[in-house]
Amino acid sequence: NIATYILSGPYCWMDNLVTENPDLVSKIQIGQSYEKRPLYVLKFSTGGVNRPAIWIDTGIHSREWITQATGVWTANKIVTEYGKDASLTAILDTVDIFFEIVTNPDGFAYTHSTNRMWRKTRSINAGSSCRGVDPNRNWDAGFGGPGSSSNPCAETYHGPSPHSESEVKSIVDFVLSHGNVKALLSIHSYSQMLLFPYGYKAEPAPDHQELNDLAREAVAALAALHGTKYTYGSTIDTIYRADGTTTDWSYDNGIKYSYTFELRDTGRYGFLLPASQIIPTAEETWLALMKIMEHVRDNLY
Amino acid sequence: MQRRSAARLGPLLLLLLLPLAWGEGPSPPRADGELQVSNRLAGQAARVALHYLNYRTGSPSALRALGQVRKATVKTIPGIGHKYYLQFTTEDYKSSQNVGTCLATVLYLKRKPRPAVNINCTYTKDQKQTREDDYSFYKKMRQQTKPITGNDIPDSYGNIEPALEPAWALAVAGSSYLMWEKSTENLGYFMAQVKNVKQWITKDDSIDFDYSVVLHEIPTQEMISCHLRVIWTPGHPLKVKYFCLSENQRSESGEGSGTESGSTNGIFNEEEANF
Repeated sequence: NIATYILSGPYCWMDNLVTENPDLVSKIQIGQSYEKRPLYVLKFSTGGVNRPAIWIDTGIHSREWITQATGVWTANKIVTEYGKDASLTAILDTVDIFFEIVTNPDGFAYTHSTNRMWRKTRSINAGSSCRGVDPNRNWDAGFGGPGSSSNPCAETYHGPSPHSESEVKSIVDFVLSHGNVKALLSIHSYSQMLLFPYGYKAEPAPDHQELNDLAREAVAALAALHGTKYTYGSTIDTIYRADGTTTDWSYDNGIKYSYTFELRDTGRYGFLLPASQIIPTAEETWLALMKIMEHVRDNLY
Repeated sequence: MQRRSAARLGPLLLLLLLPLAWGEGPSPPRADGELQVSNRLAGQAARVALHYLNYRTGSPSALRALGQVRKATVKTIPGIGHKYYLQFTTEDYKSSQNVGTCLATVLYLKRKPRPAVNINCTYTKDQKQTREDDYSFYKKMRQQTKPITGNDIPDSYGNIEPALEPAWALAVAGSSYLMWEKSTENLGYFMAQVKNVKQWITKDDSIDFDYSVVLHEIPTQEMISCHLRVIWTPGHPLKVKYFCLSENQRSESGEGSGTESGSTNGIFNEEEANF
């Protein structure tokens, strides 16, 4: 079964990363997907008890393959740089990083076995022949509004209720019970944008100024490496109105540094980004992530 | 008594219906004036202008993609629609090199189906070279005795076979017609993939292809399947016929022959101030 084979790759690599770096990395299971695949999160920690944390997820939309690939590269990078890069070391000496790389494993398996352009989860929708819920419209923040669809066949179907998807509920439960998450970074493609709340309303977030300034710095750092230009701003102004999104939920739950990345490119290859662009994309994204993580480290609340 | 309360309800109902009338995505700007360059409606309008340009230019070697929006303004023309005034840089579709700047207006009309575009650009790529590249593709295809075919371009991993690259570029040019037609102020398109290409060997001067393409629709995120017939002779307007299927099995079709209104290099009557 090709789906199992494909997923065994990242899962194998994850176990290796933990085995080779036991003092820094551990693997946690936060739940199960609809089709009962494990939802694994890598925890990067240098100790302490329930330290403030940064959450990062990639692959919530399964067709955005550059994101899972960037996730793998980034996890490796964290392990390589700890103890070498002063800033990253200082980050990990202060905060923990939780990293979910294959956030939608059912969708991911489906993009390999059947439909490269599959976006959603693979849950069965009662009364419909269409499967799947958009995991980035299923969060309890402006849930069900016009920036999502009530049609189970639609790509932005919000689902029957907030957090109906186990892939979403698992993160909600984990983040809320952790209680000390200070930043949530959700990684998507494509468009080359760095977005912050809100998507569900036009009213600027109370922290708009700070989030905007930090976004500006992050995209400048990103552009310095390979010249890749990003736009940035609130979700609703920069990309489109979107209701029930991850970062609107996290922001409304007190996680100030809530950002959505849209990685390369701007439409030539779109979801089908060539493998030759994985490393350059991951390298430049790392610089933006570092800017944000440094700011979190230096501005804990 | 009853008539008075009905009268009060009327305008209230209209106000409630307004957001729904615009569909998904942010409501078009309520206020006229300058837009932030990162505003998605500005980028959207710039892309529409480029779809039109790529179609009208009809040259697979000279396709242009959006670089950056430098300035964007919007004006409401009462009873007609919204007009965008744009200044943006462009990049070569293949190499991503900067190839010049454009000034464009895009008018989204309430009644006519497609946006009205006027666009004027500088172009820094060697046009003699692009003409030669176009002609070399054309000649190669004219010499085929067996029709070329291909599937999944790019493939799942983003690979494009070099031999099929010009046919893919022609699909982008042909899809540009269809994406221009389908675009609205809120709905935008990208050509995501050529699922299938099949050449038709003809006796006339043109080269002919049947394409199945997949378009990515924003903000709905839908993948729309369309069939395109593209008929091309270098230096002549692109002829495009299309047929698309959408989720609810509604089909849309259209035909373009390069004679549609709009302009790519005409006299610019717009006041400087509008830009």
